[in-house]
This record gives sequence, C-alpha cells and structure tokens, in this order.
Amino acid sequence: MLVLAPAACILSGIALSSAFDVLTRSMKFQLSKLFDDGPAISGNGSPNGSSASTVNTSSSKNEKTEKSEAAPKEKQSKKNRRKDKEVTESVSVKPKKEKRLSVLPLEASIVSTLLLIALGGFYVVHCVWAAAEAYSAPSIVLTSRSREGLHVFDDFREAYAWLSHNTDVDDKVASWWDYGYQTTAMANRTVIVDNNTWNNTHIATVGTAMSSPEKAAWEIFDSLDVKYVLVVFGGLVGYPSDDINKFLWMVRIGGGEFPHIKEPDYLRDGQYRVDAQATPTMLNCLMYKLCYYRFVETDGKGFDRVRGYEIGKKHFKLTHFEEVFTTHHWMVRIYKLKPQKNRIRGKLKKLKSSSKTSSTLAAGRKKNPWQ
Amino acid sequence: MAEREHRSSTVVLLTHGSKSNQAKPKEDKRSDLISVSPSSALLTSPAMAPSVRATVLLLLLLAASSSSQAAQAAEDGIRVLSAEKRIDLTGPIVKVFLTLKVQNTATGADASHVLIAFTPAEADHLAIVKATRAEGKRKKKTYIPLPVSPADPATAAPNGARLYSISLPTPLKPTDTTTVEVFYVLTHSLEPFPAEITQSESQLVYYRDSAVLLSPYHVQEQGTYVKTPSSRVESFTRVDPTSRSGPDVKYGAYGNQLPYAYSPIILHYENNHAFAVVEELVRKVEISHWGNVQVTEHYKLKHGGAKHKGVFSRLEYQARQSISGASSFKNLLARLPPRVHSVYYRDEIGNISSSHLRSDSYKSELEIEPRYPLFGGWHCTFTIGYGMPLQDFLFESADGRRFANLTFGCPLLNTVVDNLTIKVVLPEGSKSPQAVVPFETEQHLETSYSYLDVVGRTTVVIKKKNVVGEHNVPFQVYYEFSPIFMLAEPLMLVTAVLLFFAACIVYLHTDLSIAKSQASS
Repeated sequence: MLVLAPAACILSGIALSSAFDVLTRSMKFQLSKLFDDGPAISGNGSPNGSSASTVNTSSSKNEKTEKSEAAPKEKQSKKNRRKDKEVTESVSVKPKKEKRLSVLPLEASIVSTLLLIALGGFYVVHCVWAAAEAYSAPSIVLTSRSREGLHVFDDFREAYAWLSHNTDVDDKVASWWDYGYQTTAMANRTVIVDNNTWNNTHIATVGTAMSSPEKAAWEIFDSLDVKYVLVVFGGLVGYPSDDINKFLWMVRIGGGEFPHIKEPDYLRDGQYRVDAQATPTMLNCLMYKLCYYRFVETDGKGFDRVRGYEIGKKHFKLTHFEEVFTTHHWMVRIYKLKPQKNRIRGKLKKLKSSSKTSSTLAAGRKKNPWQ
Repeated sequence: MAEREHRSSTVVLLTHGSKSNQAKPKEDKRSDLISVSPSSALLTSPAMAPSVRATVLLLLLLAASSSSQAAQAAEDGIRVLSAEKRIDLTGPIVKVFLTLKVQNTATGADASHVLIAFTPAEADHLAIVKATRAEGKRKKKTYIPLPVSPADPATAAPNGARLYSISLPTPLKPTDTTTVEVFYVLTHSLEPFPAEITQSESQLVYYRDSAVLLSPYHVQEQGTYVKTPSSRVESFTRVDPTSRSGPDVKYGAYGNQLPYAYSPIILHYENNHAFAVVEELVRKVEISHWGNVQVTEHYKLKHGGAKHKGVFSRLEYQARQSISGASSFKNLLARLPPRVHSVYYRDEIGNISSSHLRSDSYKSELEIEPRYPLFGGWHCTFTIGYGMPLQDFLFESADGRRFANLTFGCPLLNTVVDNLTIKVVLPEGSKSPQAVVPFETEQHLETSYSYLDVVGRTTVVIKKKNVVGEHNVPFQVYYEFSPIFMLAEPLMLVTAVLLFFAACIVYLHTDLSIAKSQASS
C-alpha cells in the first residue's frame, strides 16, 4: 500500500493547488469588484451563469455585512446587473467555448484559504510526529512509555560494548545469524555465522549446537574454536523477537543438515513449548539452558513474559558453560566455554600410573574430553 | 638504640655517604624547575635502581646500615621538633597531610629551605606536593602557599631517596621555629591483594609506608595516624607503640629519630571505593571568537582494583546489591562549569542515554553511567562534549594579549588520569601562543584544520602524567590576535557567494549559440 503514497501525494498536491487557485481567484475577483469599476473585471474572464447568481447573493451579503460601504455596494449591484446582462449574452453566444470559472463568495474564500493554510501547517506537524514515532524504530534501541516517561532498553549496545572492551581481540562469538553483522560492527569480534547466510551448512552447525544438549554443544563449539556464546532472551521484559521464538528455525535448519536433530523431538502436540509440558529434548537443549539459567530466581516462579507461562525446568546448573555477562534487562546473555579440566586430570593420572612418556598426549591428538 | 626495640624490623639508618661538602642553602636558590625523571637522582649506593619497591629498598638498607653507623647532622642545620603525619586511605588515591615544626639550629646561617624526602617508589607515584605555612594568630590564620620543587640532584640522599625542597618566604633565623604543612598525593600506591576476586568478595589492598617519617633531619617527636574507610583491617605491622581503634591506626609517638630513619609497615585493609582509573584522556578545547568554547573529551576508563574473575551474575548484582560487586562502580560524577550547553555523552557505537545533568549558578554536575557496571580489570571508552559561553573564559591581559582561562585536569571526581593531553585550539590568525601552567608539563605546538581554515589553527598541546583532582586549577593560554582576522571567515563566504552570483549573471547575459537566431537577424 505504501506504493500508492507517491501517487496520493501528487494528487493531493494537484488538488490543493487548484483549490488555492479557485480561492485566490475568487478573492481577487471579489476584492476587485469591491474597489474597482467594470473594465477591471473583464480582464478576469467572464463568469458563467451560476456563479453570477452567487455573485448576486454575495453582493447582497456584502450589503448586509459591510454597512459602511453603502455607495460602492450600490455601484456593485449596478455592476452586477450589467454583468448579468453581459453574462447572459455571452453565455447564450458561446455556451461551450467559454471557460467555466468558479468564483466563490469573499468571506467563504478567505476562510477557506486560511483553513487550507492551517491544514498545511498541521500536516507538517503530523508528518514530523509520524516519522518520529512510526518510522524511526532503530530496532536496536527499544523504548517503552511508562508513567515515569520514556524507558530505554539499550541492552544490545551494552552487550556489544562489553564484548568489544572486555574480551580478547581474537575471541570468537557464536550466536544465531541475526546478530552477526551487529556483532562484527559494534563488538568488533569474529562471528561464526552472520546475516549474509551464504553457507547453509555452517548455519546448520550452529543451529545443531543450539539444539543439542550441553556436552554435544560444547564439542561442536570447541571444534569451531568459539570462546563466547551469545543468546538473546526477551522473557524478563517481554521482547518478542528473541532466540526462543526463533528456535524453531534452528531446529529445522539444523535438522536439514544433521539427521540426528529431529523436529518432532521438540514438539508437543505440534507446538514448540518450554513449559512443564515441553519435551525432555527441548528442556535439555543448550538454547533453553542458556536462556533460562537462573531465571527462576528473578521472580521465584520463572514466568516468561513473552510466552506467557512458567518455564518447565527451573533449577539447573550449567556444566560446560559459565555466564560471563548478562545485560541490564536480561535481553542479551553471554556465556563462555569452560576449559577442559577433566582431561588434564586424566593426563596426570596416566603419567603417574605408567612410566611411559606422554608422547601420544603431547602429540595433540584431539580426544573426546568428556570420556 | 636500646629504647627502640621493635617486633618486626629494626630502625635502619641511612647514611649520607662520605660527602662532607654539602651545598649551602643559599646556593640552592635556583628558580628553574628541574624536571623529575626517574633517572635523575644521584645514587650513592650503586646497587639501587630508582623504581624498586619499598620492601626491596629496605632489605638493602638493612645491609647498608650494618656497614656504617656514622650519622651526620643535616647540612642546613634544621631540626624537626615535631612531625605529625596523617594518611588518608579512604579512597583509591592516598592523601597524606604532614605537619612539620622545624627549628633552625645552625648558629650562623639562615635556613631558606626545608627538605622533605620520599622513597623512590613514592616519588614515582607522587602526583602533587603542596606546602603551606600558617601566618597570623588563631582567628586571623591565613595559609600562604609555599613553592615546592624537586631538590637539586647534587644534594645526595642515601639509597636513592628523592628530596623535595620547600622554599620559605622569609629565611628562618637561627633558633627560630616555624610550622610547615605539607600535603601530597600518591597514586597507584594501593596494591589489591588478593589480585583477583569474585563478584561476591570484598576488595582488600596493601598499603606500604614507614612508621617513622623519612626525613633528612633529626626528628625529635613524631606520630603517624592512618585512616581506613572501614573497620575491617586485616593486618598491620606493629611498630611499638601502635594502637588501633576501628578504622584508625595510630603509630604512636616516637622520639629522637636520626635522619633517614625508616621503618617499613604494611597495612592490609578493605577498600571498596571505586578505583576509577582513566588510562588516557584527550581534551580538546576549541576557542571560537564567535562566542563559544567547545570542549570534547575522549576517555579510556578502567577499573584499577582487584581483577574480576569467574562468573558475572546479573541476578546477584541486581538482587543482592550489598554483598555483590562491592568494589564495582556504575556511575561517575563530572564537575563542569556552570552555563554549559549542548552536553553529549556517547561512545564509538552511539549515544549513551544513561546520564543526568544538574546545573546551578556556580557549577554543573554531570552524572554518567557507562553502559555496563565496571568490575575489576574491565574497560570502557566514551566521549563527553559540551559548549561554554566565551565571555566566561576569554579575557584581555594587561599587555594587550588575550588569554583563555581554562581549568586543567579531568572533570571526573575521584579519579586518577595516567596520561592527560590537553589541546587548546586557538582561532585562525592567532600568533605567539604561550601556556602558563602552575606545574610541570610537556608542551608543544601543532596545527589543526577545521571549517573554513586556510592556514590552520595554532594548537597548544599540553601533556602531563599522573593527574589527580588537586590538579584542577586554572591555567592560562596567552595569544595575540588582531581583530581584523575575525573578518576573514565572513569575507570568504561573502566572496564565494558573490563570485557565484557574478558567474550566474555573466552566464545569463552571454550568448553561446553558434548560429544567430532568427529574431536577432
């Protein structure tokens, strides 16, 4: 529908222009009739019959309203009668070739002109307001009006600024692809997938990691050399475009590439749910855990404002990730991959037990760290 | 020596070495400022490096003391009758107030200087030293500031101790006494220990100093009073008589100390004050003769306390504020001049909306909140800019030059700036700029280019390290400017528009057609 906007603008411009044309011409005509004599009138062109009658009524009105100008009115009326004769003559002579000029009464045209100018003024005000309110949503700074005024949710920039200043330059951040360009531009960190979405397998890898349990997700992220994982969570403040709502795409895209991710595992009655009726696969996947980690402690019940119900799994601990930053309104949560502690202990045990050198371990062959 | 038995360490005597020809005080009256650089002090003991920590210094002093016991009287014949040292450890910066009552015991010579000594570590972290003397009796007491300058390196002090000399306004006659009050500020002298803390822990720091005053003179009577912010003092070295009551620790009256006596103490206490360190601050002050002074400041802020390790839990931070993140800070206060306008607070990625400006008739206070609370070791950068009316800051001096009266230092309260750069951009056509700053700075000139500049604007660049709040004093930048240069910019614009109109006129009146049109023929 916005395509029609330029056409509407042009048409309204034409309409306003012709309206002003008629009104100013009326005013000019009426005013010249008030002050001048006959010859000046003819220059305007000959009015048609219907307008002549309105001219008559306007002159009579003029007589009523402008009592001080008695003499010119008499003149006017004489002029009008003369004009009537002219008009009827001219109309009868050239009925079709005459240009039909509409002339309105003087007060009506003055009032209409002023109203149109006021309309133009209000239109400017309205446009400025509409542009500020409806067309200026940057979608990275969210605002809401409360009784105390404007409440600003600047969580995205807070998280990106934190990443930019408090992580090492070479650290990689894994998130869903929606935030890729923003992370690259504002946080100045390398991301795994970004808005370019040219590599579906890569996106599917991240999606699979988000849909897998913690251990498998840790392995996938570790193989990609990721240090930080970023999730967007709107449940505390009611921000609807968060990662839990986008989760179905992570499952579908991941499932498209990796067959062990099956969408029905996450569905209960054909719906994605995160409350007590959610499937165990859903309640154990990384996205759920990272979004709702310690969320129950905010209000005691874990009520998700976006989904509108209490979450299913409330008390749990993270084993492979640790929380390094959460923004002010909990909208962006950043987690760090925990290093492999168990592997070192295993290494020491092996060194102690056997006298052989740790050549196999020192070769750096990647073993599964959690076995 | 028998009366000074201590539990921790013995009093160490520092010796002057074998030099007996000390320069007379009268010859020290050299008014040029000697820049203090770490390598300038003459070292009597070749094993010492100036930047060593106090504890290592004292171990070596212990060795040195065993060699020679000869204590020479101070060369100016001054004796300190009583010394009172008050150390304020409540904030991130150490402030020391020293009251010295000195007497000139030399028989013939007048004393015009009083020397004070600092260890090399203290001297490296010394931000400012000020001295005053009280004049007049009780109700009419006025404090006259006294100039303090680094002493002539020729006056050697043992083991690399640095000397500063306070010039007395009137020389002290023999057997006369006077009271001098010294105030100095040490930055980065509190070492967080443990060096890394979690979110729920409190920050504990070490403070190293001496129980007896390090002075080039005999000190007859002295006491040191230490004030900590809370009553949690983990440990402190006991040098009898020592007493502690709540947050205050008193190193009681010691009598008859020899010159350069030093008794190291360590205080381990809790300090949760915000350790805001501005690593780099670049302030650009642009003076425009059209009525506005625009200031733009770029900050690199860091939390200089114990580093944060482990998890940052927003839940703990918001729910349990009293125990979580005790040493973190989330807002800073900046004091700006009154009548500032167009204040902005942004960083590289955009405007930061969490700030408040409150102004009244003699100051404005800008309270800024960085995007995230700062825990130990976290950084952030931001820019603050504001404009001020020109008539508050530009004046004419007696010799016809104009000068801008600006405030040095950083407007953020309770912070220390590691590297401060102030650039004063003077209007185009200014000549012979000169900056007069009450303390030691590095200055040079540059040229900056801005709108409608042809030759560029002269910029005075002033740099200083280790700047604290006590450095926020006015300084002046003098320059010559003939008023006719003010017409340069309007004339440029007028000429440009004039040329454009002239070109239009010429274009409209020329006939560029090749063939003559029929009307003209």
